[in-house]
Amino acid sequence: MKFLNLPEKRVFLDMNWTLVLAVLILFFVGLVNLYSASSMRLESGITHAPFYSRQLMWGLLGLMIMSTCAILSYKMVERFAVVVYVFTIFLLLLVPIMGKSVYGAQRWLDLGFFSLQPSEIAKFAVLLMGARFLAGDGEALGWFGLFKILLIGFIPFVFIVQQPDLGTGLTVMFLVGGMALFHGIKWKVLRTCLIIIPLCLPLAWFALHDYQKERILTFLDPTRDPRGAGYHIIQSQIAIGSGEITGKGFQAGTQSQLRFLPEKHTDFAIAVFGEEWGFVGSIGIIILFCFFLFAIYSTVSEAKDRFGSTLCAGIFFYFFWQIVVNIGMVVGLMPVVGIPLPFISYGGTSMAVNCGLIGLVLSVSMYRYVFKS
Amino acid sequence: MQLKLESNTYIPPVHGLRLLQIAIVFLFIIFCARFWYLQVHRGEDFARLAFENRMRYEKTFAARGEIYDRNGMLLAENHIAFGIALVREDTPDIDASLAQIGEWTNLSLETIRERYNDNKVHAQIFDPIFLVQNLPFEVIVPIQAELNEWPGVQIIPLPIRNYPQKHNFAHIMGYVAEAKPEELKKDPNLALADIVGRQGIEYVLESRLRGRKGLKRMEVDVLGRILKNSPIQEAKAGNNIVLNLDAKLQEGVSKAMGDHSGSVVVLNPDTGAIRAFVTQPSYDNNLFVTGFSQKEWDAVRNHPRFPLQNRTIQSIFPPGSVWKLMMVGMLLENGIDPKETVFCNGTYTLGDRVFRCWRKGGHGQVDMEKSIVSSCDVYYFVMGESMGIDKMEQFARASGFGSKTGIDLPHENKGLVPSRDWKLRRFKERWQKGDTVNASIGQGYILVTPIQLAVFIGALINDGKLLQPQLLASEKPYINGFLPFRDEYKEMIKEYMVKTVNSGYGATARILHRDDMTIGGKTGTAQVVKIKMVGDRRKKNEEMDFYERDHAWMGTWGEKDGERVVVVTMLEHGGGGASAAGPVTRDIYKLLFPIEKE
Repeated sequence: MKFLNLPEKRVFLDMNWTLVLAVLILFFVGLVNLYSASSMRLESGITHAPFYSRQLMWGLLGLMIMSTCAILSYKMVERFAVVVYVFTIFLLLLVPIMGKSVYGAQRWLDLGFFSLQPSEIAKFAVLLMGARFLAGDGEALGWFGLFKILLIGFIPFVFIVQQPDLGTGLTVMFLVGGMALFHGIKWKVLRTCLIIIPLCLPLAWFALHDYQKERILTFLDPTRDPRGAGYHIIQSQIAIGSGEITGKGFQAGTQSQLRFLPEKHTDFAIAVFGEEWGFVGSIGIIILFCFFLFAIYSTVSEAKDRFGSTLCAGIFFYFFWQIVVNIGMVVGLMPVVGIPLPFISYGGTSMAVNCGLIGLVLSVSMYRYVFKS
Repeated sequence: MQLKLESNTYIPPVHGLRLLQIAIVFLFIIFCARFWYLQVHRGEDFARLAFENRMRYEKTFAARGEIYDRNGMLLAENHIAFGIALVREDTPDIDASLAQIGEWTNLSLETIRERYNDNKVHAQIFDPIFLVQNLPFEVIVPIQAELNEWPGVQIIPLPIRNYPQKHNFAHIMGYVAEAKPEELKKDPNLALADIVGRQGIEYVLESRLRGRKGLKRMEVDVLGRILKNSPIQEAKAGNNIVLNLDAKLQEGVSKAMGDHSGSVVVLNPDTGAIRAFVTQPSYDNNLFVTGFSQKEWDAVRNHPRFPLQNRTIQSIFPPGSVWKLMMVGMLLENGIDPKETVFCNGTYTLGDRVFRCWRKGGHGQVDMEKSIVSSCDVYYFVMGESMGIDKMEQFARASGFGSKTGIDLPHENKGLVPSRDWKLRRFKERWQKGDTVNASIGQGYILVTPIQLAVFIGALINDGKLLQPQLLASEKPYINGFLPFRDEYKEMIKEYMVKTVNSGYGATARILHRDDMTIGGKTGTAQVVKIKMVGDRRKKNEEMDFYERDHAWMGTWGEKDGERVVVVTMLEHGGGGASAAGPVTRDIYKLLFPIEKE
């Protein structure tokens, strides 16, 4: 078994090109939007911050990561799942000991030549480990099985939340849960869970930090602190809403150009888009994301083994979660959680992780017919 | 290659795939609905909010109208001073900024913070909150240099009111002060740190003096930096006001009064225009604008003679013998023959009460003319009692007493004309004949303001018109009513007044006599306490406590070359009408009609 399967031409053609297309469109829409978001109107005219050019660089880097992951044999990757998982737990353990603090959160490991965020690697680790565990058999999960798969997510979750980074922690738990649901849970077990989980939510409230509680309260009523925490929520809805049907036009959004909109390069990038392209543009981008998710879905449904299919389903939930939380936050349907919008928000780390995951999906899609021959 | 396949027939879990499909549809529906709600359903609302976000409206100050005297002398003007204000929304660190402002201005942080907390309640979003005001230019220059490091802190030039005539016009001008919270609430045109008239002309003519503020619209970014600045409405300065008063005369009258407290009114009897309007003691009304020091405030508040009181219209005094002018009019109208005499032996007895004439030995046979010229009291005791209080009340009211003259100043007192009903209500006692006797010589319950007397004397010489006294040059004469005396009777009263000044022996206002003009006058010495005796002579004023001394009155009119004036002098606890008010009034006539040197 080869570690790298340099594909034959036919296999290459089998790759999920729809997904590649969707990612590229999203990336370029994001880039254009970022160009507008990084322009600033001053008295002297418009200047641009260099966000869009750096994002282009991140994109190229991402493309390389995506290609690398795509030609990795995911069957090989499956073998290393346990090693990757244990190593990740080890890194997560290191963070509180020797990690560096940025903005009051300790998330980074300084490796000298570059900094690493073990919580990002944890996404891969949990996906691989979860998929590997679920690939064992096709039986619906019973109590013990459900416990084990949730534990796979829960161990890194505890470390990540300690950093604190509730957003990433919840992402991990969500994709584990998504994979379990995709795999199938015994009806009896699922039914009980559906009853118990809502009852446990109030308990979770007491585990939250004060600032996290504050965010949730502010989400429920932004006007309780219109100049502080509620400011983001109010200004972002004003930005989107004021775009009306056709938008204010490229680089013409007053909310973003005059910097009333916070975090417009990263978490609130979609608000810039909504303001400048209006309802038409917003629907366009939603359709684009549905197209993107559907492209992943097609690989899930066409994969020819349980590991590949479950892995892609996990990746599907990973992106689904980010899209829902980010856009939900920007349009005021969700509390403010610092989760970027895939391919639209500025950021090198998330770009690299996202491209890596897409690469894995492509790998699964490429090898779906290999076993036939 | 040979691979051990899990199965060629692997089929993904159906429920799982269904779950993913549902997820996609869910995402599509939820967000389409939400975007529709935000951008289509409520799009206009948010568009308006976005517009308001970047548009700021700023009011521009309108200069308050200036006030001049009849000769164009400035009485109230605007200087430029500077205020330091803070815009909360633009200030990253409010505490540090407040501390810095305190350091700049040498004020304690507590003072600044207190101002901030008081004022922020009334400030709207992006309103500058004034913390310090009335800073001179020298203080502002170094602050301006550091301002860039303190976003949100602004220096705002503000006009500050100045009254160059100070004490001379304090009671007339009044003063301005920062609008109080109640005023801000009542008047939507007022904003924080605006000044409004509080007293005097400034208060009465507030709407004319204030002008209308301008409005600027500015497009700003989130840091409040101004990108575009377009005026929407230009500020309109308030109207300038010209008064009938004469600043030079005012100052001269003030000097003539010397250290006396009291009031002088100089009135044009034909138009009601007030030419001088002096109240002593006075105060510097600029202190109300710039702020009193504690010492200055104590000095004004604890002053034994109440400088804040505008004696000309707010203080009421018994008119004393000046009242006899009104009495004569009434007697004539009631058919008393001016030649009818009353014998005055110095006292008048009613029951067991003895009323004394001011002249201890009495005046002998007194007719009407003599009763005025030598101011015999007994004549009026007898006549007044025969007329009764009801008639007296009726004529006094018709002559303008007991009601306001309508001058353009706040807090005018209407004085008091007593009546049977009034006494019953006020003291639960019946009116006594002795009360009537007292009232006949302007003592007892009767109380008048100096301005009422001036209007009354004006009516004696202007065909009976009770004119509203006018401070403003632009006002037309306004007639409140007419004296209830026939013309020939008014002429007689005028003649008596002239004789009071001009006749030889016994004329009480002889001191006013001038060869080059006609002056008519009537003295008055209003007792504050009952006449006190020292052995068998009356106690002299100089021997009495200040607050027990008589009020000195001099009600006069003068005419020269067709120009007529009324001068009423009232010296509070000044002593005798002739001896105290006489010289002051004489000096005022010298100011009005300078004596030509041969």
